[in-house]
Amino acid sequence: MRVRLRIRAGVASACALSLGGCTGVQSVLDPAGADAEVLATLFWVLLSGAVVLWLLLNGAFFYVTRMRVRPHSRKIGEAVIIGAGIAFPTVLLAILLSYGLSIMPDQRAPGDGLTVRVTGEQWWWRVEYLPQDGGGPVVSANELRLPVGARTEIKLTAAKVIHSFWVPNLGGKMDMFPGRETRMALEPTRTGVFRGQCAEFCGTSHALMAFPVVVLPPEEFEAWLAKEREDAAAPADAAAERGREVFLAEGCGACHAVRGTPAKGAVGPDLTHVGGRRTIGAGTLPATAEGFGQWLARTDHIKPDVRMPTYRALPEQDLIDLATYLKGLR
Amino acid sequence: MTRFLLHTGILIAVAAVAAGLVVFLGLFNVSARGGHLPSVSWVLHTTFRNAVELRAPPAETVPDLSDPDLVALGARHYDAACHMCHAGPGEARTATALSMVPAPPPIRDAVSDWEPRHLFWIVKHGVKMSGMPAWPTRSRDDDVWPVVAFLTRVAGMSLAEYEALVAPPDMPDETAGADAASCASCHGADGRGRGNAQVPRLDGLGEAYIAATLAAYRSGARQSGIMRHAASTLDATDDARLAGFYAARRPSPAPTSEPDGDRERIVLGRSLAMGSPARRDVPACNACHGPWPDRRSALFPSLSGQPKPYLLRQLELWRDGERGGTARAHLMHQAARDLDDGELRALAAFYASLDPGTDP
Repeated sequence: MRVRLRIRAGVASACALSLGGCTGVQSVLDPAGADAEVLATLFWVLLSGAVVLWLLLNGAFFYVTRMRVRPHSRKIGEAVIIGAGIAFPTVLLAILLSYGLSIMPDQRAPGDGLTVRVTGEQWWWRVEYLPQDGGGPVVSANELRLPVGARTEIKLTAAKVIHSFWVPNLGGKMDMFPGRETRMALEPTRTGVFRGQCAEFCGTSHALMAFPVVVLPPEEFEAWLAKEREDAAAPADAAAERGREVFLAEGCGACHAVRGTPAKGAVGPDLTHVGGRRTIGAGTLPATAEGFGQWLARTDHIKPDVRMPTYRALPEQDLIDLATYLKGLR
Repeated sequence: MTRFLLHTGILIAVAAVAAGLVVFLGLFNVSARGGHLPSVSWVLHTTFRNAVELRAPPAETVPDLSDPDLVALGARHYDAACHMCHAGPGEARTATALSMVPAPPPIRDAVSDWEPRHLFWIVKHGVKMSGMPAWPTRSRDDDVWPVVAFLTRVAGMSLAEYEALVAPPDMPDETAGADAASCASCHGADGRGRGNAQVPRLDGLGEAYIAATLAAYRSGARQSGIMRHAASTLDATDDARLAGFYAARRPSPAPTSEPDGDRERIVLGRSLAMGSPARRDVPACNACHGPWPDRRSALFPSLSGQPKPYLLRQLELWRDGERGGTARAHLMHQAARDLDDGELRALAAFYASLDPGTDP
């Protein structure tokens, strides 16, 4: 009795755990985009069909091994082989194939507004918003913001190795290749924060190559994009001012751009508004002053083989001021 | 058979006891006064010659040693580190050197029947039990060749020529201290390197950078046998004094190299140094090394007006991961790792073409 109870409890908690995977910021089963909804429906249709088939097959198996254990007539045998072995799968697969093909054009439908170019780097995302009015790209990194209800065109490429762009809640995934442009479009249907992840092994820190996706109401998005286009804010206090001096003196500008300062590097993420992002290190640490401090002092421990050198040799006060400055770049 | 084994065992035991007496009771006279028996001398010398011939690198690896700048640099290091035993060409060795066993040969004799590749091996690896030391760093063969270049010339050099080559320039004042003269014999009293393209200029470098670099040479973090020898004669107080002296030298306004004929390289070098959109994976040199429109940290060296061969060699060492330096050296490994030979040459040409006087 006790054993049976325990088994029941185990099964129940396993179910609860697996159901837990059905919601959340990185789940295909919790769609928040037009394409993801179609994919989720496809998943449920296929799953239901698979369950029915599984029950039928095992029912038949149970029938011949337990309920009627004796030879069947040749007629019934042939009917089962031809009917269930040839005709039924042909018809079923044809139906599923035409259903699957019918949803593909929508998945490939172009965007109707904003275009964003995303470049896969080792191991972060270079994000450029290409405005419709033809102005220069608004350069950002490691975070994607999208207006709700609009279909945004995503142009994808990669710097040195193959990556794959995937935001499970919003749509399907698409590979990114060096020297070649692939594309997709995302059409979020509700606001919220989701999580994207590189879905193609791309090196040591592949697992640490993620990004938040923030879906905003259109007017909020426009306001955000207008602010993102601006140069960096001036340091707000003396600590941030000192942090900016450290940033320039230590040569951070060789790799990072902070628009409005002499720092114009393009090797690493643009930091003009890095303090306003949700994460740093491509979804690795929260973008808090403590997060910046940890990142600067322990880069190589936090993200193995990362290109950015560690700055643990800097005096502690310099690191604190630098973190204050970076957090202030909103 | 048993008897043979027994006799052998007894012989081994007696030999072990005899060896033990020599080692533990000090029966062997290690005095250098008497020298070696002629037969021992012959064995040692023949072993030495054959070992060098077996191990010397092949002749194809010998670089062009005709550059007078290489010869001058090698001569000045020789004067600082080797002269105490081998003396100048035609010069009498000191009584102390002559009392060594074996006595170091006068330099013309020492080089007389070796090829450059053998001299390289001897200078780099030294000779065990002879007093000839190994080169103070393991890596960087390029650091050894200037001395070999000098050794290939020394046989035909008069003592007066040698002394003219190694004499330090007059110092402007006493503030630098007496040991600054040995810095100045290569780097010049004004820090401009005496026009030697193998030697970096020190004018225009920051005080903190020079002091940190001397400490890095001394610890071996930055690899150079020549500079490790020089820095090993100093301590942290000397570092600060000498750094202060050279940081106070005003950079000369004229570029040290002629830009003509290098124009294309300079254009490519400038675009790389300033952050080339075509090479988004290469950090921009100017963020640390100038020429920087805004202020820049004194912890990084200015590169403007440094001699092209020196810059190229250092860039190669960075790119190949063979060079260390101050606490910020790891930044350069990231910066240089993806550059090809043409880009290194372009960067060297660009920075060599800049006027050191324009750098803040």
